Amino acid sequence: MSEEYAQTATMDGSAAGNPRALRDAVDLIQRSGGRVVFATPLGEPAEPQPTASGMSSGLAESPESAAKYRALLEAAPDAMVVVDVLGEIVLLNLQAEKTFGYRRDELVGQPVTNIIPEGFAERLVADGLRPAAEALTQHMGTGLELSGRRKDGSEFPIEIMLSPLDSDEGIVVTAAIRDISARKATEAALLQKVEELKRSNEELGQFAYIASHDLQEPLRMVASYTQLLARRYKGRLDKDADEFIGFAVDGASRMQQLIQDLLDYSRIGTKGRDLIETSSEVALQQALRNLRGAIEESHALVTHDPLPLVLADPMQLSQLFQNLIGNAIKYQKTGAVPEVHISAGRNGDPKWTFSVRDNGLGIDPQYFERIFGMFQRLHKRDEFAGTGMGLAICKKIVERHGATISVESQLGHGSTFRFALAESEPTS
Amino acid sequence: MTPIEASGRPIEVLLVEDSPGDVRLTQETFRDANQSIHLSVATDGAEAMAFLRREEAHAHAPRPDVILLDLNLPKMDGREVLVQIKKDEELKAIPIVILTTSDAEVDIVTSYRLQANCYLTKPVQLKAFEDLVKSINDFWMTNVKLPQPRHGG
Repeated sequence: MSEEYAQTATMDGSAAGNPRALRDAVDLIQRSGGRVVFATPLGEPAEPQPTASGMSSGLAESPESAAKYRALLEAAPDAMVVVDVLGEIVLLNLQAEKTFGYRRDELVGQPVTNIIPEGFAERLVADGLRPAAEALTQHMGTGLELSGRRKDGSEFPIEIMLSPLDSDEGIVVTAAIRDISARKATEAALLQKVEELKRSNEELGQFAYIASHDLQEPLRMVASYTQLLARRYKGRLDKDADEFIGFAVDGASRMQQLIQDLLDYSRIGTKGRDLIETSSEVALQQALRNLRGAIEESHALVTHDPLPLVLADPMQLSQLFQNLIGNAIKYQKTGAVPEVHISAGRNGDPKWTFSVRDNGLGIDPQYFERIFGMFQRLHKRDEFAGTGMGLAICKKIVERHGATISVESQLGHGSTFRFALAESEPTS
Repeated sequence: MTPIEASGRPIEVLLVEDSPGDVRLTQETFRDANQSIHLSVATDGAEAMAFLRREEAHAHAPRPDVILLDLNLPKMDGREVLVQIKKDEELKAIPIVILTTSDAEVDIVTSYRLQANCYLTKPVQLKAFEDLVKSINDFWMTNVKLPQPRHGG
């Protein structure tokens, strides 16, 4: 039997009525992998000849094939039950005994409705009575909730594959029955996880909206009115009052920035665009335009090598550059002229590695991991303002692009931030 | 037709806003921006419609030249007010400026679909809010030519 033939026989059961296929059943089943549907002509359904093992020897064409059969049936991973036209069980394997909790002799000769649902059992028999050409292998139970019934009355989810066979000696139907309790449980658990994930994503989206609206509303009141107080009454109350109002104004402003940054952070995932072919040089230019004020104020010298086309979300890539270069300009000794250089290389790698190198204060290696966390700051507020979200946003952007961000630095010797991006040409 | 400011009569603005803090802040900043603006206030959507239709206590309400409309309002929210005004032959010509804290894409799109004339978000910082009010004044009250009311207030 050719490989192709075995495959066909296994998939649609078209070999079920073919005596040659039956004779060569060993081959067939070996090639078919785990899912076995197997049927054989039945001599006299009413008079099965029990053997020592309880299996009928009248099922095969010769004693030799009968032995092969028993071996095959026993080797099948599923519970195998052979039923005659009257709906009585004529043969079953060890797996069927285990699955249903009966001894073999308790089932042979009994109606198949003892172990599978009544309506379904009738259909099984009806299928058996249809001409074999019409009723070939039936794979049932997909999309249908079927259950088997054990001897103790307990039910369990099953999947059944039927193989009716019209032979010279009568009609039998072989049912391969699989207990799918474990799979059902896994599916249910998976579904639950998906639901949980969906819910938590929705909550996150909801949170972004709350932050953008419900939280801003009262904050606006606090910020606006403390600022109005400061403007109208500064110098008209006493020194303490001016100071208190100053703290209130400052607190409200910082809270506003925190909310804004938190919102930006949460939107990286929810508002991100598709990754498209992007000129990293154009993204860099956009970032530099946004930083124009800071660059002019600090007289920063920002240089870059030619930069490649990459696969990225252009707005996010621009924000990434902006945050990194903004930091490079910001974290400097007073009066120092910031120098920042942006380059990209790839040492035979399929991805481009970008570097943003500066001559700034540098970072103590013990803080390398911490700086990428949310709200992490290494400086006092009167040294450097900020919410500590900048690098957390960078990290989230880079991770959304399927890469990681890292830093190399030494206190007093500047820092280099690196991240990798896929090149834009699809690899074919 | 001339810009309202040149006509010599006060500019009538209806502010539809439920937050007293916002109402006061808007009054303060409009007063600083343009003394000739007369600001009326409705604190929910239903009151805004009663004001515009001169119902009951609002029998002598002036017809606004511009409406400043918040979206999230009690009783009848801003979107519904927008729908009501734009399907009213008497009122549909009045420009409506959405002035809200929401910068949600869905609110922006919905507002323009419902024929809002412009959409502005209230900034958190006082200075930025003052600038915004000033720009509303410069644009809507000073530069823009508006239809003259068919019957005065």
